[in-house]
Amino acid sequence: MDYDLARIDYTVCGITYPDTLKIMSPFGQKVDQKFAIGDKNGVLQCLSIKDEEPVVQFKTLPGKPITSVQLATTVGQQADKIFTASGNEVKGYTRKGKVFLCIETALTETITSMCIMGNDLILCSGRTVTFYRDLREYNSYVCEDRVLDIAAFASTRIRLLVLVANKGAVLLENGKLIARTVISSGPSRLSVPPSTHVTDIVAFYGASDGSLGLIAYEELNLSSKCLVDGRDLGSVVCLGWYYNNGNFHLSVGRHDGSIQLYLIDMDNLGEKPRLKYTYFCGEPVTSVAGGCVSTEESELLVATFSGRIFALRASHLVSGVKVPQDILAARRAKLEGEVARLEKQTANEREKYQQHTRSLHAGLSTPPLLDVQHELLGAGSDGWQEVRMTSAVPLDMLFIYCNQKLQMQTDTAAVLTICSSKETGSDMLASVRCQAGTRRVWVKMRYTSDTSITSRLEGKRVLIYVLPAGAPRVARLLSLQLPALPYYSKHESEKDMGSYERTWSELQVSGSYSVAEITSWLTEALPGELPRPASEVSFVRLHTLLGTLLICEYQRGLATFKSDNISTIATLRNIVSNCSVEKNISVDITFDIPEDCCVKSFKNIENKFKIEYQKNKDLILKNAISMLDLDSSMSEEGPVLCQEYARVWDSKDNINENQFNDLVEMVVQWYLDWRTLSLHNDNYGNESTKLQAALKDCRLDDVLKILSNKSS
Amino acid sequence: MQISTVQPVFKLELNHKVTPSVVTIAKYDGTHPCLTAAAGYDKIIIHHPHGGVGTGRAQRSQAHGEVSELNLSQAIIALACGPLKPDTNRDMLLIGSPTQILAYDVHDNTDLFFKEAPDGVNVIIAGSFGKYTETLAIIGGNSSVQAIDWEGNEVFWNVISGKVCAIITFDFDKDGENELLIGSDDSFIRVLKNNQFIAEISETGPILCLSPVNEVRFAYGLANGTIGIYEEGIRLWRVKSKQNTLALQWSGDTLACCWSNGRVDWREGTTGRVLRRIQMRANAAAMLLADYRSVGAPDLVCVSDKGEVLGYPPYQEQAGFNSVSKNLSSEEDRQVITELFNKKQALMVELQHYEANANAASGHVSLDSIDRPATAMPTNTRLQMAIVHSEDEGCLQLAISTNNETIVRAALVLAEGIFENGETFARHPRPSQLRSLLHVPLRPPRDVPVDVHIKALIGYPDSEQFHIFELTKQLPRFSMYRLLSKEVRNRGNSYVTFRITERVQRICIWVNQNFLLEEELDIETEETKELHISLLCLRDQSYLYMDFGADGQVRFSTHDIRLAGDLIQSLAVYLNLSELQVILILFSSA
Repeated sequence: MDYDLARIDYTVCGITYPDTLKIMSPFGQKVDQKFAIGDKNGVLQCLSIKDEEPVVQFKTLPGKPITSVQLATTVGQQADKIFTASGNEVKGYTRKGKVFLCIETALTETITSMCIMGNDLILCSGRTVTFYRDLREYNSYVCEDRVLDIAAFASTRIRLLVLVANKGAVLLENGKLIARTVISSGPSRLSVPPSTHVTDIVAFYGASDGSLGLIAYEELNLSSKCLVDGRDLGSVVCLGWYYNNGNFHLSVGRHDGSIQLYLIDMDNLGEKPRLKYTYFCGEPVTSVAGGCVSTEESELLVATFSGRIFALRASHLVSGVKVPQDILAARRAKLEGEVARLEKQTANEREKYQQHTRSLHAGLSTPPLLDVQHELLGAGSDGWQEVRMTSAVPLDMLFIYCNQKLQMQTDTAAVLTICSSKETGSDMLASVRCQAGTRRVWVKMRYTSDTSITSRLEGKRVLIYVLPAGAPRVARLLSLQLPALPYYSKHESEKDMGSYERTWSELQVSGSYSVAEITSWLTEALPGELPRPASEVSFVRLHTLLGTLLICEYQRGLATFKSDNISTIATLRNIVSNCSVEKNISVDITFDIPEDCCVKSFKNIENKFKIEYQKNKDLILKNAISMLDLDSSMSEEGPVLCQEYARVWDSKDNINENQFNDLVEMVVQWYLDWRTLSLHNDNYGNESTKLQAALKDCRLDDVLKILSNKSS
Repeated sequence: MQISTVQPVFKLELNHKVTPSVVTIAKYDGTHPCLTAAAGYDKIIIHHPHGGVGTGRAQRSQAHGEVSELNLSQAIIALACGPLKPDTNRDMLLIGSPTQILAYDVHDNTDLFFKEAPDGVNVIIAGSFGKYTETLAIIGGNSSVQAIDWEGNEVFWNVISGKVCAIITFDFDKDGENELLIGSDDSFIRVLKNNQFIAEISETGPILCLSPVNEVRFAYGLANGTIGIYEEGIRLWRVKSKQNTLALQWSGDTLACCWSNGRVDWREGTTGRVLRRIQMRANAAAMLLADYRSVGAPDLVCVSDKGEVLGYPPYQEQAGFNSVSKNLSSEEDRQVITELFNKKQALMVELQHYEANANAASGHVSLDSIDRPATAMPTNTRLQMAIVHSEDEGCLQLAISTNNETIVRAALVLAEGIFENGETFARHPRPSQLRSLLHVPLRPPRDVPVDVHIKALIGYPDSEQFHIFELTKQLPRFSMYRLLSKEVRNRGNSYVTFRITERVQRICIWVNQNFLLEEELDIETEETKELHISLLCLRDQSYLYMDFGADGQVRFSTHDIRLAGDLIQSLAVYLNLSELQVILILFSSA
């Protein structure tokens, strides 16, 4: 079959949350399917499409933002009930739009996802999965972290497959955990293949790193398998199914605006899905679903973040004479009229608004906050921390301020300028000018070597002013906290840490603080979301460059931090003592530093260090060769070089980035921290210079000697 | 806009690296075009698909059968070609090395001439201008331009203020005779006619390329990524990019623009709108117009620095999009519908914004800071702006202030050519220094009019959202000179003097237009015949005196000869003088 799909716009609604568009199953004899969409304004619409024109079946009044929309899926019955969740409320609508159910639950947090099976209602909010039977709370389970998505499997018993942030997936039954699996790519969305056997527990997942995979429960064992690598693809926001010509396709909507179709072999789900089609719509996709909405043939229905609803339909249907020309023209004329009317209305309101600005009576202008979503990601091995911003309106520019100098990078579609500022040299001001129509933009930031010292005392606050291109002329301020230990962005399960022999430095903090307080102190230090305060919290993070671990365990009044990276312990100590002083809480800080911590830890990274050293050497060599301006007679073989040089020259661009200097700096810092913390506080300036020189030349024996303090 | 899938009409590999911008296409035998390029430091390659170049100095390349190599013992800076020899229409190859020019007849394997160029060689073209009817080699150096005839005689020479980066011959004043259009690194495009500069266009960055469009228009590209088109000396449009332009060519009623990263786009001539865009596989080295396929019309020949050559025919719109078929028409309808939804969405967001205001107004939200929403601002807030001279800091102070207790959280000043790095200057005061008044220092380094755009973010110190106020202000040409109220006379200065016959009232208007004055200069009575003005330069605290005598004698006293020149130029343009005799008296400051 051909995968030549063309876009047809249906309508616009308010801003949508992920997976809030659902296609309803056909009713009675009719083939045409209706669909329901809920938006941030709280409006639920049920629409059908006639000749490409949306026909409203029903539409509710605005209310609280709708965060989840589900169709009732009772076995053997058609899914014709629509359920919406907003805040802690759940409403049920018939296909005619009549409210037959409205409950306010006792949940304290917003419901993010739900399942409905017959008389059973499963709600997820925050970390909790709550099971209601006949609208009575039946059982609940509290996960270790936020619940991201859920799928219910009903055979004899109801089993729930739950995606938990930073942990992976768990399988629940009767409020009890029966199996779990760790998935490191950060899955965010689940999708159960249609028409699988009822007893099978299997689901596809899409992850924040862009990868796709499969989770399956077989023989009492929950396992996961990555099927498609993330590479440079945007994070998965939504998954859906698209059935065409006898083939099932997994449709994937991503944050970078791409929509993809993967052909799935339904008999062998573990096969690698084959990418068949990609469409790029320019803004984050929040829902994708396949169905026969307007023709007998299936099409892919898409909703975007800003509320665009459009279809991707096979081109032969689009260009075929299915829709009479005059109807299309009428639709266009109608829309033109509507836009003209809106233009007039807007002009009127604009005039009124401007009159206000001239009046003597000071009213108060309180424009609504611009809809800008943002997310700060922890650093990868290169140390860059990325901020992703998504806006409902096109952006003109960003204006970024930090009271420390930072290194910055941005999108290729934007121009970054470090602005000159009159004030003291330590400030950093930058502007990012976006191309026309930009709705999503990223900025990467990295500590420079001189700020990394001060950042060891506290996290850095970065202010980003987001200026939209058109009206309203307001700039939203986003305030970000860059953590002091950005590398600890990888979550690790507490079980499998044993692959290396590690020596633990330990920091203990006791005092009269609450769990909430220590959590807020830790946000200064660690990237990503921390576990929500509970009576006892423990988690493990992994350093993305060095591979060192940080184990945090805390409860009210007592916290223990263990790490095989002494600098981490030193930084944490600084931050905890700084924060506690600010809050006026007296704490006792004790630490236990083993004598051999630097040596042992260095041995763990020795291999990595050697590789980076070699890469760095190659890079220097390559730069030198390219500076030679070799005779450019580009014969097949390229320049004539000795074997070693030819290897470096041919190694293309992959060595252009390396972390050798970062590594050297970190190891030197280990030594300095060890000297300070373990009270070997005699004159060691000389030693650290020696160490640095030894590291730079990769004289590992010397390095180990200095680190073990045996050289003198 | 996505990359177009348009395919080149021809494609070939030179198998040699190509030095960017040192490429030309010449008809050495008078009929067949041959791509000629610098490949590396001192090597020239000639691609001759239509049969070999005779033996002689050119050696057949090992890497490509249709390429000959020519080795020089000097670095190759520029290449050009043209039918210099009067009795033949064969193109001669002009090779520029750092200090020499060689004219070489490839077909006959003879040197035409070899000439020292003591001022350096930056750019060479072949063409005719002014009263010279024969084709000349025109060479732009570091501070001069010279023209050489086919025997190597210098027929023309003039000084240019700045390194010459681009030259074209162009009939600027439409008198049927070509003038020289010279772009230099001091950000001026100058028009040279018979040893006289008849026009000077100030741009915002070093000029990298110039290209004629038609009788009245020419295109230009700057080192800061700007490209644009001038029509009769007035800029029609300009756009800016992150990349640098490498070449501009007018092809098929569109402006083709080749960027250094290998992207080529075709733009509409009157607006600059991109019509289509392609991306080469490597960085670009050149883009030329030549009939390389011998079909009778020139193609656009794009060369990458890896030696790939792509040919594109003149841009043609997909003709008759609407009328061809009904299906396509419905397609267009759908595209329009998508566009209309875009519009509708934008309008709805704006409307929501106003509605929320109306709600807030009716809800009587108090102005007290306790329960003020994080986005609030009094509706009658206005932004005022003034520019004052600051003598102490030697700069202009741009003062931005609100009319109430709201504060200026941040200010972004966008202007070209007046900030050291880039075009943006930003102020973001510390929380303790937030006021309703903010000063931004401006230091225009040279005397040209500057448009200053200001974006100010206004709100309360604890706001989460700020209102954007945008203002534009034009700084007059001589804004860095402050009027002194009392006479400070120290006449030891150098000066220029000349005579004009103009009423002092008109001079007064010129002063008001070109200087930044706190109050407009006014002539007290009709009888006043003289005008004496003392000014202080904020850059170096030097004095400038302008004396307009009753007898028409004018004297500008300043130690800055460039300023004197700029003043005379500006005054002469204002008074529409084509000629002016000026006496310059220079005292050594020592």
